[in-house]
Amino acid sequence: MKSKNHPLLGIHSLLMMVFIYVPIAFIIAYSFNSSRLAADWSGFTFDWYISLFKNRHVMEALSNSLTVAIISTVVSTVLGTLAAMSIRKVNSRTKAGMGGLLYLPIIIPDIIMGLSLLVLFNQLNMPLGKITIIIAHITFSMSYVYVVVSTRLTGMKGQLEEAAQDLGAGAWQTFRYVTLPQILPGIISGALIAFTLSLDDFMVSFFVSGPSSTTLPIYIYGQVKRGISPEINALCTILILVSVTLIFLAQFILNRGKGQKKQSVLPF
Amino acid sequence: MKKMKWAGLVLAVMMVLAVLSGCGSSKETLNIYSWADNFDADVLADFEKQYDVKINYDVFANNEDLLAKIKAGGGGYDLIQPSDYMVATMIKQDLLAPLNKDNIPNFTNIADTYKNPSFDPDNKYSIVYTSGVTGIAYNTKYVKDEIDSWEDLWNPEYKGKVLLLDDNREIIGMALKKAGHSNSSTAEAEITAAVEDLKNLLPSVLAFDTDNIKQKMIQEEGWIATVWSGDASVIAKDNPDVAYVVPKEGGTIWSDNYAIPKDSKHQELAEKFINYMLDPEVSAKNYESIGYSDPNTAAKPFHSEEYNNDRMINLSQDELSRTEWLGDVSDMLQLYDRFWTELKSGR
Amino acid sequence: MRKSRLGLLPTFLWLCLFLVVPMLIVVVISFMGRDELGNVVFDFNLASYATFFDPLYLGIYWDTIVLSVLTTVLCLLLSYPLAYYIANAGPKLQTWGLVLITIPFWINFLIRTYAWVLLLRTQGVVNNLLIDFGLIQEPLQLLYTKGAVLLGMVYTFIPFMVLPIYVALEQMDKKLLEAASDLGATAWKSFWHITLPQTKSGIMTGSVLVYVSTTGMFVVTDILGGAKSAMISNIIQSQFLGARNWPFGSALSVIFVITSLIMIGLFNKAMTSKHLTVKEGRQ
Repeated sequence: MKSKNHPLLGIHSLLMMVFIYVPIAFIIAYSFNSSRLAADWSGFTFDWYISLFKNRHVMEALSNSLTVAIISTVVSTVLGTLAAMSIRKVNSRTKAGMGGLLYLPIIIPDIIMGLSLLVLFNQLNMPLGKITIIIAHITFSMSYVYVVVSTRLTGMKGQLEEAAQDLGAGAWQTFRYVTLPQILPGIISGALIAFTLSLDDFMVSFFVSGPSSTTLPIYIYGQVKRGISPEINALCTILILVSVTLIFLAQFILNRGKGQKKQSVLPF
Repeated sequence: MKKMKWAGLVLAVMMVLAVLSGCGSSKETLNIYSWADNFDADVLADFEKQYDVKINYDVFANNEDLLAKIKAGGGGYDLIQPSDYMVATMIKQDLLAPLNKDNIPNFTNIADTYKNPSFDPDNKYSIVYTSGVTGIAYNTKYVKDEIDSWEDLWNPEYKGKVLLLDDNREIIGMALKKAGHSNSSTAEAEITAAVEDLKNLLPSVLAFDTDNIKQKMIQEEGWIATVWSGDASVIAKDNPDVAYVVPKEGGTIWSDNYAIPKDSKHQELAEKFINYMLDPEVSAKNYESIGYSDPNTAAKPFHSEEYNNDRMINLSQDELSRTEWLGDVSDMLQLYDRFWTELKSGR
Repeated sequence: MRKSRLGLLPTFLWLCLFLVVPMLIVVVISFMGRDELGNVVFDFNLASYATFFDPLYLGIYWDTIVLSVLTTVLCLLLSYPLAYYIANAGPKLQTWGLVLITIPFWINFLIRTYAWVLLLRTQGVVNNLLIDFGLIQEPLQLLYTKGAVLLGMVYTFIPFMVLPIYVALEQMDKKLLEAASDLGATAWKSFWHITLPQTKSGIMTGSVLVYVSTTGMFVVTDILGGAKSAMISNIIQSQFLGARNWPFGSALSVIFVITSLIMIGLFNKAMTSKHLTVKEGRQ
C-alpha cells in the first residue's frame, strides 16, 4: 500500500536531513583542508588520506574497533533476539524481573559499567585485551537489541505462529518461515544500533582495554589533548563511503537472489 | 534443533575469540601507556630496531583515568607517564617500582632544575619527560593593557572572553596564589576565600576547557586565558598576536614523567628505553618533533635555533623561580572538589 | 513454557556474571567508607547517601532531569514526522531515508560534536552567514550556552528516536486506517486514534533510549556548553576519578539507576493508560 505523504511532512524531513548532514559535510570538507588545525580553509589536499594509511596507530585502532564491533554485534544480536522472543512466553513475574534486568545496561552510567567490569575481570584474573572489550560490549549491546526487537514483537500477532504450529511446523520451521521474516527489520535495526554503539564506545572500552587493544574512540579521545588530526576526518569520510557501499552492495545481492519478492537488508 | 544452531553459532564465535587472543609475537615487548602522540614515531621505530623488541603504545586522556585504571589492576604496562602530582599519589599508593639508575646512565643529562623534585625526592620513582608553567596567554589585538598579574583576569573589560583550565587544583590554586598563599593550601579559610574570589570571576568566564583551550585562543573566541607555557607556544605559532606571561604572583609548574608500574614484567627494558630517550641526539630529534620543552641539557647543541629561541618552551630562570609544584592536599581534595562543583554549576 | 525459559537462560547467565555481580560490587562500595588516599575501606555507613541530599547535588540532578526530558520531547517532536514520512514513502525513498539516518552513527561521536563547534563559534559559519545577510551586526555568542547543549543532545540522539518509531510504524496494521477513512474519519482523527496508539511501543522505546542516554551523557556539556554546567554523570565521573571518592560515586550511581527505572516505569504506565490504548483483540 502506498499512502501519500503531506507536503509539509516532506519539507520537515528535508530540513531534518539538512540538520543532520551540515556538520557531516563539514567533517568531509575538512578532511581535504591543508591546515592541520580545524580552523580556516587553507587549500585543498589529499595529504591526510596518504598519511592516514601510513599511520600505524590509527590503522591498528581501526582494525581493533572493527574486530570488536563485528564479534560483539553478532553475539549480542543472537542473545538479545533470543531473549526478546522467549520473554513473551514466560509468566509475568519472570517477565518483569528479566525485563528490568535487560534494561539495566542501558541505564547504568558508562563509567560504572567500565570500572566495575574492570574490578570483576581483575578478580577473575582475566588479562585485559580485545576479549574483555568484546565481553563488555556484548553486555550493553544485547539490551539495545532486546529493546528494539521487543518493539517489533509487541505489535506482532501470535496467530500466525500458532497457525503454523497447528499445521505441523516444528519450532525451527515456525521461527525460520513465520517469526523471523516478521521481526527481521527489528533485528537489523537492533544489530545496527549494537554495531554503532560498539564502534563509538569510549568509556567502557577504556577501562577494560589492555596493551595493544586500543580502539578508535580511545585513540581519538587521547588525541584531543594535542588537537585531533585531520587524518581522523579523512578516516570518517572513508568510513561513510565504505558503509554506504556495503549497504548498497548487500541490497543488490539480496535483491538478485530473491528474484520476485523485493527484499531489503536494512530495516526497510 | 533451533537451540543446536544457536549453540553452534555461539561456539563458533567463542572459537574466533580464542584464536584472536592466541596470536602474539615472540619478541620481547615494551608496553607503553602515555598521552597520545607523545613521542616521535621514528624515534620509537629506531628503538624497536636497535634493541630488536616490539613497542605497544596505548593512550590515556588524563591522569585520573590513568590512576583509576592502574589502581584497579588494569594494565600489564611497563612504562607510564603520569604528571607530577600523580607521581606523588602513585608513590603513596605503592603503585610504582623504584628505578634502577644503573640502567639509566643518561639521567645525568637532565637539567638540575628538574632533578630531585618535591613530589619525588631523589627521583626514586620518576624522571621528568617534559615540563611547563601555567601562566596567562592573551591576545594583544583585544587586550591593550599590560598583563602581569592574575588580577587582570578579573578586569571587567574582558567579560565573557576569559577562558579557564577545567581543573579544580589549577584554578583554585591560581586564586590562592593571587591572594599570596600556596597553590596547595590546606587551610579551609584560605580556600574558602579563594573560591569566593573566583565567584566574582565567573560572569566573565566564556568556558572551562583544558584540551581545546588552544583552539579557542587561536580562533580568538577567548581573549585571555590560563594556559600552560607549552600550549602557549603552540598558540603563538598559529596566532602571532597571542602573548604569554608568568604573572608576578607566580604560577603552577607541572611536569609529565617517566615511571614504571610495580607489576611491570619488563622493567629492565623500560629502563633501557628511558636511557635511550635521554640520549642527546635522540632527545633533540624527539622534542623537535613533538614541540614540548626538553629537560635534557646535553641535547641543547643538537636542537634547532628556532627551538632554542622559543621562550615559551625555554622559560627563563626568573620565570621558573616564581613557580610552585602542586602539592598533595590529601583529604582536602574533597573540599576542592565540592567547591569546584559549586563554582561550575553556579549554585 | 520450559523451552522459553531455556531461551532466556544464556542471556540471564551472561547478565548475572557481567552485570549483576559488578553492580553488586558497586552497591556494596556505596555503603563503605574511604581513607584519605581514596582507598575504599570496610566501614558500613550511609554517609554517601546522606551527601546526595545536599542541595548542591540535588539541584544538579534536577537540572539533569529537566534537560533530559526536554531533549526527549524535542527528539520525539522532530523524529515522529520524519519516521512517519520515511515509513510511508516509496520503497526507494524508504531505503535512502534509513541509510541517511544511520550514517551519522558511523562517525565518531566526538568528531560530530566538534563539527558543531566549527559551525557555532563566533567566527563560525552560522555567525558569518547571519552577518553576510545583514541580520546581525556583531557575532552572537552561540557556543557555550545552554541552547548549544540542548542542540548537541538532540542532534546526537535523533536516530535513537527515529529507528524505533519507524519500526513500529512500518509494522502497523494499515487496514485499520483504510477502514477509518472509509467510515469518513479525517486524516487527523485517524492519526490520533489509530496511528498514534498503534505506534506507542516505538515512541516508548525511543523515548526511553533518548532519555536514558541523555542523562548519562557529559561530553556534550563539556564541549558545547563550555563545561559551565554539570550533569549528574559529570559528578559521578569526577567522584570516581578526580575526587577519588568511590563510595559517593557508587551511591550516586545507585540513586541514578533507581530513579531512571522509576522514570521508565512511570512513563510506561502513562503510555499504557488512557485514550492511547486501543482494543487490538490480543490473544
